[in-house]
Amino acid sequence: MEQDNISNAILVLKCQKRDETAFREIVNRWEPRLYYYIRRIVENENDVWDILQETWLAVFQNIRKLEDPLKFPTWLYRIGHNKAVNLLRKENKYAQITTEQIANHYENNTTISVVKEQAELVHKLLGKLKLAHREIITLYFLEGFSINEMAQIIGVSEGTVKSRLYYAKHKLHEVLKGANDV
Amino acid sequence: MSETENKPEFIKNLIAQDPPPADKQQQHKEVLLKKIEHRMCMQKAVIIAIYTALFLVAFGAFMLREYTDNVVHSICWGTVSLHILLWSLVYILRGICMQMEELIEKKFDNDEKRRHKNQNLFLTIVAIMAFVLSSFLLYRSFFLTNALKAVQTAVSILWATIFFLIFYPFRTASLIGMLWFEYKKMELKIPKSEEQDLKSQTE
Repeated sequence: MEQDNISNAILVLKCQKRDETAFREIVNRWEPRLYYYIRRIVENENDVWDILQETWLAVFQNIRKLEDPLKFPTWLYRIGHNKAVNLLRKENKYAQITTEQIANHYENNTTISVVKEQAELVHKLLGKLKLAHREIITLYFLEGFSINEMAQIIGVSEGTVKSRLYYAKHKLHEVLKGANDV
Repeated sequence: MSETENKPEFIKNLIAQDPPPADKQQQHKEVLLKKIEHRMCMQKAVIIAIYTALFLVAFGAFMLREYTDNVVHSICWGTVSLHILLWSLVYILRGICMQMEELIEKKFDNDEKRRHKNQNLFLTIVAIMAFVLSSFLLYRSFFLTNALKAVQTAVSILWATIFFLIFYPFRTASLIGMLWFEYKKMELKIPKSEEQDLKSQTE
């Protein structure tokens, strides 16, 4: 994991020096994950490709402004999130996230142990969650971001992230428990 | 990190539940890389165009110096051509210096970073002020009637540019020195055993 981070940071530094091969490598490395994440926010596949295109162009344009190369994943997902949300806002589909009730006093101590075979189950459950919760839990599983990082990506307070994560984990926990019992 | 077992495999499996279609992914990459290549070419073209235009303007001013009968104007046009060329050179040297600065900045803590940024901002403001002021003086010297006065103004204008032409290479050299020093410090910090491991790996 540490080595991954370092090689990633080196690629980012090379991109900052306008190395096209490094940029190609970064796209290859991150595109499947980013695709999966944006697909959880936006339903239409063509829109997903448009968002990906815009995201990568924004990354290329602004990568020199990224001061800490180790923060590239958070930065990348934040751009992806913003592009996706802009599209949803145009279609008035983002209102449901912003108008939800926010509880800030959840204890976030529910732990989930999932094995690789349960990926299919998790994927199916993601489809059943509300958009806000789906987004949080996708970030949690895909990259293992901290609460603070997820708050930065989505642009909400840490309390909001905690409450959304608590709800999503709770629901997932129940389903996984049910599946294990069967 | 999430509390998952076999995390990389889990992520792989999760992504495999909804993978990007291979043909679309390929098509998307081709379009994206073409767009990026196009943008890079455009950026290069813009820079080349700006420098060509600057050079042509400077050359035009140099030629005007040849064709004018007025001594003051001849001095002024000659100074204009040098003024443009030398300031564009200052800009290039500043760019190189900034690149070095970016490299060494990664080793600094926040206070040092802020100090360096403030220093650079101050220098940039001084350089812009020097450029604007000398351009204004140059413009005014066209209306002078005394050739000696015009020569004196021209020399003082060029001196301001020369200061930055000397300053930036020295700053770049000192930054390279700092980088080399950091590299040596890093080398000394590597324990003997690790160094031997690295050597045996490279062999």
